[in-house]
Formats: sequence, C-alpha cells, structure tokens
Amino acid sequence: MLRLSLKMTLARKGRLFLTSLAIILGTGFLAGTFIFSDTLNSTFDRLFSDVFKDVDAYVRSSSFVEAEFGGEQRGSAPITALETVLAVPGVQAAAPDVQGYARIIGKDGKPIGADNGPPTFGGIASASAAGLWTIEEGRLPVGPTEMVMDKATADNGKFALGDTVRINAQMGSREFAMVGIANYGDVSSPGGATFALFDQPTASEFLLKPGFVDAFLVQGDGTVSDERLASAINAALMPGDKLETITGAQITKETQDQIGVVLGFLTLFLTAFAFIALGIGCFVIYNVFSITTAQRLRENALLRAIGANKRQVVIAMMVEALIIGLLGSALGFLSGIGLSRGLSSMLNAFGIEIPTKGLTIHPNRIATTIIVGTIVTVLSAILPALRAGRVPPLAALRDTALENVGSVKRRVTIGVVAMLLGVGAIAATAAGATNILLGIGVLLVFAGVLIIGPGIAKPVALGLGRPIEKLRGVTGAMARQNAARNPKRTARTAAPVLIGVALVTAMTVFAASVRSEVRTAIGDQFKGDYIVSSANRQFGGLAPSLAPELAALPGVAQATGLGFTSVNLDGSGKFVFVIDPATASGLITFDMVQGNQSELSANGILVNDSRAASKGWTIGSTIEVAMVDGTKKTVAVEGTFASSGFGGSYVVNRALFEGTLNNLFDTNIYIRLADGANNDQVYNALTAATTDKGLGTLQSRDEFIDAESGQINQILGLIYGLLGLSIIIAIVGIVITLLLSVFERRREIGLLRAIGMTRSQVRTTVRWESVITSMFGAIVGVVLGVAMGFVLILILADSGASAFSLPIAGTLWILVLSFIVGVLAAVYPARRATKVDIMQSIATT
Amino acid sequence: MNNPSATFPPPVASSDSAAARATNVSKIYGHDDSEVRALDDVTIQFEKGHFTAIMGPSGSGKSTLMHCMAGLDSLTNGSVAINGIELSGLSDRELTKLRRDQIGFVFQAFNLIPTLNSKENIVLPLSLGGQKGDDAWIDKIIDTIGLRDRLTHRPSELSGGQQQRVAVARALASKPAIIFADEPTGNLDSKTGHEVLNFMRKAVSDLGQTIVMVTHDAANASYADRIVFLKDGKIAGEMIAPTQDRVLDYLKHLGE
Repeated sequence: MLRLSLKMTLARKGRLFLTSLAIILGTGFLAGTFIFSDTLNSTFDRLFSDVFKDVDAYVRSSSFVEAEFGGEQRGSAPITALETVLAVPGVQAAAPDVQGYARIIGKDGKPIGADNGPPTFGGIASASAAGLWTIEEGRLPVGPTEMVMDKATADNGKFALGDTVRINAQMGSREFAMVGIANYGDVSSPGGATFALFDQPTASEFLLKPGFVDAFLVQGDGTVSDERLASAINAALMPGDKLETITGAQITKETQDQIGVVLGFLTLFLTAFAFIALGIGCFVIYNVFSITTAQRLRENALLRAIGANKRQVVIAMMVEALIIGLLGSALGFLSGIGLSRGLSSMLNAFGIEIPTKGLTIHPNRIATTIIVGTIVTVLSAILPALRAGRVPPLAALRDTALENVGSVKRRVTIGVVAMLLGVGAIAATAAGATNILLGIGVLLVFAGVLIIGPGIAKPVALGLGRPIEKLRGVTGAMARQNAARNPKRTARTAAPVLIGVALVTAMTVFAASVRSEVRTAIGDQFKGDYIVSSANRQFGGLAPSLAPELAALPGVAQATGLGFTSVNLDGSGKFVFVIDPATASGLITFDMVQGNQSELSANGILVNDSRAASKGWTIGSTIEVAMVDGTKKTVAVEGTFASSGFGGSYVVNRALFEGTLNNLFDTNIYIRLADGANNDQVYNALTAATTDKGLGTLQSRDEFIDAESGQINQILGLIYGLLGLSIIIAIVGIVITLLLSVFERRREIGLLRAIGMTRSQVRTTVRWESVITSMFGAIVGVVLGVAMGFVLILILADSGASAFSLPIAGTLWILVLSFIVGVLAAVYPARRATKVDIMQSIATT
Repeated sequence: MNNPSATFPPPVASSDSAAARATNVSKIYGHDDSEVRALDDVTIQFEKGHFTAIMGPSGSGKSTLMHCMAGLDSLTNGSVAINGIELSGLSDRELTKLRRDQIGFVFQAFNLIPTLNSKENIVLPLSLGGQKGDDAWIDKIIDTIGLRDRLTHRPSELSGGQQQRVAVARALASKPAIIFADEPTGNLDSKTGHEVLNFMRKAVSDLGQTIVMVTHDAANASYADRIVFLKDGKIAGEMIAPTQDRVLDYLKHLGE
C-alpha cells in the first residue's frame, strides 16, 4: 500500500506541484525570516568581535541606566584614571575611547549618512598601540581645531587632507581642519558607520564632558591572562572613580548580546508575519486536499472496492501529504534564501537600513523549517483524508466532485456561538481583563466567521454575482452559478483572502485613527510657529546650546528644546522628557491634571496621571532617580498630566541634570516668532542657524504635524509589505482552486465550446467566478477588519472610541485591490480553460 | 414531403441544397507505422430538411466524420462546408461562431450545463451570441418537447430522457443549418430513446430542420430518411427510406 500511495502521488505531478506551492510560499517566508535574522546576528557578532579583536581588557564606568527597549546608557570615566591603568603590571598600552554622537556635514551642506541608518560616531584618534585606529594618510589630530576621518567616509564624501569639515555634536556645530585619514584595523569603516576623530581633550570636550571619556581600551603585554589582567586593573582602580574592568571577550559578548536584544524585537516582529503567512498557507493546503479528495472519489472508491480498507485509504492520503510536506518545505527553505534578501531590501526601503554580510544558514533552521512545514501539511490533510476513508466502495460514479455542505443551520449556529464567545472575550479585555483573552477572542471571532463561511457562501456569491450577470449576460450568469455551486470550496478559497484583507483593513483603520489622534495631540501641545527636529531619536540629536542660540535671533520671541534621556526610576531604566519650564510655557503644553507645568522645579517631576494612580503617587510624593553616572537624586511629584501625543510618562526639568554626566540632546526645538516679526527674514535666519549647518530639519507647525502623523504611514507600509506575502499565498490559493475546478469541469467547458462559447467567453466566465470568490473574502474581511480596528482603538487609545476614524478611501482601495486580485488570479486558470480539448472532453467514456 | 424552406427559411440564405458537404475528407492519426486512417477520402453531402443516420461498426470513423464536419476536429485532407461556408481557413473565433449559429449538437451524455435550468440551457447558444432568439420558435420547440412545466428545473432534477429532449431543443433553438447528434439515445432505455427519436423525427418533418445522427442501433436508424454506412473510414453504402429489417440485413452483409 505504501508503494502504491507513493506511485499515486508521483503520478500526479501537476497536483503535487500545486499543493506544494502553498507550502513552499508559507515555509519560504518562515525560512527567509530565520535566515535573515541569523545573517543579521552573525554580521553584528562578527562586527563586534572585529572591533574588540585587539582589546584585552576594557575599563568603564560601573554605573549605568538600562534603556526601556534594550541597550543601556553608561556613565563616563575620568581621564585621570588612565595613569592608574597604565601603571598596572601586565599592561602594555591603554587608550582612552569615546563613542559620542558626531555628524559630519558633507560638502553639499547635508549631513552624511541616513537619519535612521548606521550610527555617526565621534571618537578619539591616539598614537597608543591600544587605540582602535591607525592613520592611513596624514597625521594624528592635535588641539581643538583638528580632526581625522575614517577612510570610507572620506572617500564617499570626497574629502581630502586640508579640507575644512563641519561637524555637529553635543556641544554644537563647529568647523575643523582635516589632518588625516584613518583605518579601523583592517577595514575602512565598520558597518557603514561614519567616524570623526579628535585628540582626547577635544573629543571629551566636544562630544562628552571635559576630562571624561567613555572607556579605556587596554592591551596586555602577554605575561598574564586577560582575566588576571582585568582583575589586576580592577584592584588598582580608585573606588571613587566608580570604574570596572572586564575582559575583551566579555565586552565583545556584552555588546553582541545588547544588539541581539534589539535585533530580537525585529525578528519577533518578522516571525509573527511569517506565521500569519504559514497559517494562510494552511488554509490553501487544506482546500487543495479537500478538492482533490472529492475529485478522487472514484479512485478511492475503486481502491475500496478491490479490497483496501478504510485505514489504508486514509494512510495513502497521509503518505501523500507527508511527501508533499517534505518536498514543499525543502523547496520552501531554498526559496527562503531569496526571500531573506527580499526582506532586507524591503526593510531598507522603509528606512531601516541594516548592513548584512554574506548568508548565515544554520542546519537546525533547515530542520525546523522542514519539520514545521511537514507537520502543518500533514495536519491540514487529516480531515480530507478521513473524509476519503469514508468513501463507500460503491460510491456513485458521479462525474463532478460535489462536496456536501452539511447542515447550514448547524454550521451557522456553531459559528455564531464561537463569534459571540469571541466578542465576549474581547469585551472582557476592553473592561480590563488580560490581553491573552483578547487574542483568544480575536481567534474565536475568526473561527466563527470561517465556520459560518460555507453556510453563507452560496447566497453571498449569488448576490455578488447579480450585477455581473446583469453586466455580462450568460457568461456572468455562469460565473455566478459556478461560484455558488460549491459553497464549501468557495468559502475555503475565500478564507485566505478574508484573513489577509481583515488584517490589512484592521491595520489601515488603526493607523488612520492613530494618525488623527497624533495630529490632534501634537496640535494641542505645540503652539509655536516653527520647529527644528532631529530624526536621530536613539543616538544623539540637537546640541542643548542650540535652543538659546535660536531664541536670541532677532524676531524670535521664544525657543525651547524638548529632549529625552534614560534614568533609573522606580527600580528600572525609564525614558524621561527633559524640558526647560521657563522657556517651554506656551510652546510645549502638557495636559496638566494637577499642578502647573511652568512651575516645575529643578528637583520636581511630572508624572502621567494613570501611572501616578497605579503607583499611588500624589503631589508631594518623592521618587528616587539615578543618573547614568550613578548620581542619585530625590525628586518630588509636582504635577500630573493626561496621556499625550508625545507618549512618555515622566517629565523633568533640564536643571535636574546639572553637574551630572548625563548626555543631553534635544530632539525638537519649538520656536515662536515675535509679534510683527518679518516671517521671511526670521525664517532665513533660522535656516542659516540650523539646516544650513546640517542641524536638524526646520518645519512650520503645519509641516511638522503632517510629518509626525505621517510617520505612522511608514510603519503601515512595512506591515503592508509583510502582509503582502500572505496576500500572494491567498492569490495562489485562488489560482489552485480555479485550476482544479477547470480540470473538474473540463467536460462542461468542452460542451460549451462545442455549442458556441468563444475562448474569450470562457475566460470571462472563469475571471468573474474568481472575482466573486475574492470579493466574497474581501467584503467579509473588510467588515471584520473594521471591527478589529475599532476594538484595537478601543483598547489601546487613551481617548477610547472617540479616536476611531474610518478611512473610507483606504477601505475602498482594499476592495478595489481585491477585485484586481480576483482578476489576476484568474489569468492562468482562464487560459488553461480555453485550452480544454473539445474532442477529448465530449468523448463519451 | 412539403418544401421546408417555404415555412422555415434557413438563417443564411444559400443556393446550395446541401446543409453540409464533405469533399475528399481524410483524417489520419499518428504517422508512419502507427498510422491510422480514421477517414479515407470520404465525399458526402447532407441535404437540407433531411434526417440522415450514419452507421457502422465501432472504429469505422462515423464519429470522426461527424466531428470533422462539425468543425470540432481538424482534417488531414479535403474540405468541409456548412451551409455553403468553407470551414478551412476559419479562425477559432469564426469557427466557434459558426458552431453557435449554424450547427446544433446533441451528445450521448452530459449535454447540459448543470448550473443552468432547462430554459437557460435551451437558449444557451443564443445567449452566448448575445441574441434574443425567436420567441415564437422557441415556444414551439418547448411545446413539441413537452417540458413546459420543467423549464425552471436544473438538469439534475430531470430524467435522462427529459435531459436529452432539452438537449435536442437546445440544438434547435438557433434554427441551425444542421444538427449533429452523436448516439443521442445511447444512455437511455429503449422507451425513452424512442420518445427522443420521435421528437427528432418531428423536428425534421414538421419543423423542417436538418439532422445528422450517428448511431449503431438499427431501430434508431430506421427513424431517418437516409442511412450512410461507413466501414474502415470509407463509405460502404447508402439506404433511402430504411426499415429496421432492411438495416439489419444490410449490416449482416456489411459485416462479412
């Protein structure tokens, strides 16, 4: 029997290929995600092991603040400790290191590098053997007006020795003379980052704080192990300097782990979409098996008649599923290699520029892909296989494969019950239950809709087909009837479209609502005329000195900076907004519930009201705050504010950081013009002080609000792109079903051709059937998606249901695109239908 | 017999008295050693207003002749004309249009589209051509097949005989120049078979249509005005105004 099922499987190459296609695509995305994230991880792992290749020990501040989304901000080390380190026996060389923010302005006046691209560093070039840089050309920088650039950036920016280079950093925008070009070990620039290098005093003053560096890189003389060297240095360090020493291997591992956490988020995000695609693939596989089982009624009945028992028929089907699963997932893994490249370029297109080198393929990923793909296939085949086993030996020698729908009433009842349970679960979440219930609720609603599907497919298909019949006459009528004749099949074919469209619609609705909420919130909170914003949200930004500089410009009435940093607060690292209450009044307006924003003192803090309520903080409560350098301060709650478009839960006074080593940048500077000021003149002055120097982006209030609310589009675009593959699988599902239907109806098509149906009429019939099927999925999907979007808003938006806004144009577009999907999916099956051999199909058997 | 064209003019006026004509038609499958001559230089014509039966043992080429004349199959040699229109050189679209407007078909089984009801099946060739058709004519056909109360039924709700009657009505609906019927009663018991044949006979005698029927049954063939006998791809003989006994005799003689 096993031999027989193998033979039967291989005999039907066309069917084998069609079924495999769904699995190939589903597992391909999964494998692509695996390969992409592995390649990404190994690229960064290699990068950092290269960076710290010659570092035997690493001395750094022992105090740090963990950032909320992975990574950490660490305190600085006093340069005076260098002497101590050099004096430790076993130390051959030690070099101070700074990794600060420094943006090199290109010869065209524009900052070099992308805003969300690889980091732009400022550092130290030193003669020490422990230093990371070697001078390739020219000489080391000396004094406050000289700099050296990495070779890659110098080449890209066409800089030459002797050029004057403008650089923006924490202490402002300055010009330097370029005196050298440096190489980083063997490479010209690691990971596509840009580097501006100075002597130590300049780097400390310009990038950090005078007298401080980020770390010391130590090279041993080879007499002791790295571990011993590190503990010897540790023992020699002054306790007051709050420093610690780790080995080169440790700092490599730590950096790799930190980037791993960040990459982990990305991987998780991508994997979620890979599993959505695989789930949709499941439906297609299930559908194909169901149809082919129905079409093989005779074959299976014959097997039963000549003595095969039920079990053997089921096993034969399962063996086929197993073969297809193995084959499909193996091919899927191969296509995943290509897809991983596609993912990389797609992320690039959406501004997430990630440098990857080579291709990392772990054997266990191959195994995982094949196992997951095979299990999914075999599971999808179980129900159809059991159905095949129930075929009576003397099954009617019927020609067309009709599947019975079963009781519509029972189906709808079960479906409605599932949906109601789901809605109940979602309502419970909205009322404050755990989010797991939300997931269960959404799944139940989907399950309910899918169970009801076959029950309503017939009337819906007939309804959708009515205008087509009016429009296209008899071909439309036949398309309509064909779509309605096998409701189970139509519903199963529409299901992937339904799920895909529901997700896309939910995202569209959610994004539109968020967009309008962001608009309102920013509009409420920012009342000035102009804004200078920095796109570098994670690293660096605008120098704190810029805001007062702009405020002093003639015609400017007021300018204030908004920054954020991380502090240890309430037990863990938290983002806090940093404002200057004296100048912020009227420009940055938090929606105060209690207290007064402009009266925020140096030792005060404003807290989000819901956070304050959950923590039991009231006005006057004190909270301990620890800075990056370990400085501890106690702040008092001086006010609470309602949640804002800025996000974030805490606001502190810039003065809080006075005397600490916290790196402070502004992300935005808000500007109000003086009454009666000449708008053009002031605008020109502002441009000269900012964008002309490569500092941030200058926008009017309206432009800024548009840009901020438009940012959600970028994320939406990425999500659309990732859901795209699911949509492709849905299209493939329609293509497969249509091909199988055409194959099944070849006699009918032959007859129609004989009695005078033209090829183009055959195509029309197939095309409209496809459109009816896809529109069935799309319309139900849109309804479901809008409901899901509404629920998301209800649960996530602070202002609740009022934030909900229905993007009518967007929703219509989704329907139009689904229509096009239907037309596209029909192209190949329609062509196959016209190739039906009239003679063969009408020949009586 | 009265002159049918007086009451029921063919859709395309033609001076040709033949509804269909085959001239030196050959159909060869395979080549060299495995060559099979399904039709070997056949010349024949079917007159308007006649009911012709084609008989012959299996493999004699009777179905092939019909398919070739109906424009469903290509010729190796020779030419075929329907109602004076030469088939060779017609594009697929023109050939399809010709089948739709000039030819009616009745097959042995699977004649109807399962998703359409009887009425829709009957007017299908007209609908495909975007034509309304002649209502009075269609009414007349429906009355003749006697299925007025079954018009909204789907094929699955009809008996085999009823299905074939609907098929014949469909073939008649566009008033084609010629109707080709391939073993139209092959799947029916003899009683329902005779009902269908009676109806076909009426279509020729009373409605003035032209029918060519392939059959291997002498009783069926005796409904025709003329029988053409085929053997080994060649015309072996003809019989005018046949009776069942004469046909059986002839077949006996043909088989020797």
